[in-house]
Amino acid sequence: MAGITLNKAIKRYGAVDVIHGIDLEIEDGEFCVLVGPSGCGKSTLLRMVAGLEETSGGDIHIGSRNVTRLDPAARGVSMVFQTYALYPHMTVAENMSFGLRMNGHPKAEIAAKVKAAADILKLNDYLERKPKALSGGQRQRVAIGRAIVRGPEVFLFDEPLSNLDAELRVEMRVEIARLHKEIGATMVYVTHDQVEAMTLADKIVVLRSGRIEQVGTPLDLYHDPDNRFVAGFIGSPAMNFVKATVRDGRVHAPGLSDEAFAVDIALPPNGTDLLVGVRPHHIAIDPQGASHTLIVKEALGAMFHAYLEAPTGERIVVEVPEAEAVGLQGEVGLRMGPDRLLLFDARTELRLR
Amino acid sequence: MFPTPIDKTSSATRVAYKVALPVALLLWLLPLLAVALTSVRSSADITSGNYWGWPTSFNLVENYTAIFTNSPLAAYLLNSFKVTIPAVLGAIALSSLTGFALGIYKFRSNLFVFFLFVAGNFIPFQILMVPVRDLSIQLGVYNSIYALILFHIAFQTGFCTLFMRNFIRTLPFDLIEAARIEGVSDLRIFWYVVLPLMRPALAALSVLVFTFVWNDYFWATVLTQGAHAQPITAGIKSLNGEWIAAWHLVSAGSVVAALPPVLMFFLMQKHFIAGLTLGAVK
Repeated sequence: MAGITLNKAIKRYGAVDVIHGIDLEIEDGEFCVLVGPSGCGKSTLLRMVAGLEETSGGDIHIGSRNVTRLDPAARGVSMVFQTYALYPHMTVAENMSFGLRMNGHPKAEIAAKVKAAADILKLNDYLERKPKALSGGQRQRVAIGRAIVRGPEVFLFDEPLSNLDAELRVEMRVEIARLHKEIGATMVYVTHDQVEAMTLADKIVVLRSGRIEQVGTPLDLYHDPDNRFVAGFIGSPAMNFVKATVRDGRVHAPGLSDEAFAVDIALPPNGTDLLVGVRPHHIAIDPQGASHTLIVKEALGAMFHAYLEAPTGERIVVEVPEAEAVGLQGEVGLRMGPDRLLLFDARTELRLR
Repeated sequence: MFPTPIDKTSSATRVAYKVALPVALLLWLLPLLAVALTSVRSSADITSGNYWGWPTSFNLVENYTAIFTNSPLAAYLLNSFKVTIPAVLGAIALSSLTGFALGIYKFRSNLFVFFLFVAGNFIPFQILMVPVRDLSIQLGVYNSIYALILFHIAFQTGFCTLFMRNFIRTLPFDLIEAARIEGVSDLRIFWYVVLPLMRPALAALSVLVFTFVWNDYFWATVLTQGAHAQPITAGIKSLNGEWIAAWHLVSAGSVVAALPPVLMFFLMQKHFIAGLTLGAVK
């Protein structure tokens, strides 16, 4: 029974704050993904929870205990590193049992725990091998196994899949999701890959330069982002943004269409600058139109990505089904429902609702 | 391709290479050849001034037996081992601990302490001759192998610490953090995680330090006198008679003295070269 509570957590290197007072509540048993561009402080935040980085201000609770000043070992957490951090001179079984052996657990208990973890991760055939003789995916499984045998309250994952190739990454993603279901422990997972975040998380925390931009379920963030950063970060291909202005109670976005859009949001006064965001698959191509120029189309199989240039010079990406995309060339028009448009204040980049 | 392989270059270059290489080798090895040749000469050759010519007789067995029967060379040789082996073990043991401390822990004066170890290497040890001799007398170890062991450990630890610390820095720090999260104590991290991974560095450094200590002549003559404590490097001169120079015996003694480090080098060649280039890549 252990959730995690961060209370105005601050990390300071000298005079520079890298984490600016984070408040975050992670429920017991929740899968929480910290996501953000590189340098946003997501790994630092995770290492603060692990106790590998000192917390400069605020406090961190795991369950009911204040662990802010505790040693990593006393926090009841297990961590899986991006580099796997397997001891190269030990076999798989020795790697998994190392922590328990060093802390004087009885031999029979250790053997049973290693066996249980190996069963969960299908590592039984590899127990006597050294990490060198394992593939990337197997090494990562051993690293996870090492985390499991300690039976921690909280699992911490620091970009565990980024050293794997694309195919293996998908496989391990499913594996980790299954593991979470089976073990039911609280998990905190750091990644820069928003697809991993979307597929794994119960709760996503989007970070940017040491601040939380938004917290919510994957679909909340996808459909209802609070600001332009979250809207642009979540979703692949990324959301299109074009400049727009308010005119006579309508949104005029020349990068999308000559006609103004009527929206059912209370709009700011005439002449206010806005940003309009629209996802690539919410736009349809009108072959009869001639408002945009097709620059490149990328074939992804059933779907194509068409890169268009608006008369304003703005770039628009549109997702087009294969059947429509094949003959596409030259000048085309766009169609989209006004209810699909997300409006942002051009200055603060906050969402208008 | 750079550098161009010799057999792909012009014939002039190839001929020049094939001539220059043996000549350079001969020049380089000339002193060693001279010593080796002198070690099998008869004393008549030496007195008649035949230093470089063909020996009049080959006294291999006589000379090499003589150095062991007519002088306490065996005792000197044994002293060398009694000094070198504990000194190597001591320096390696100390420096793997200091290297671990300086490589892993973050504390305010870390870099300063590290520089102290490094800076010690730049002090010409000759200027320490008198103070070290006085210190050894006060410690009551003067003129014993313990003086040599103690001071060799002290002098080698600086260099070894530099070497060890840099090697430990190349180990993935994640390994130590992983062990720390698992609640493994620092000493056990050192013993079970870091030390096994340091094996190549330990091997390389042992070979290097063995050679350094074995070949030392300076401290051997400063801190010890006589066959009960002096290592072979200092003992060779006792092969010379008081009034007569027996260079053929001195040469034979030198060859014997040089054998252990040479053997060590050939046995551990891989580690020796690894030691010289360790940390150069990456």
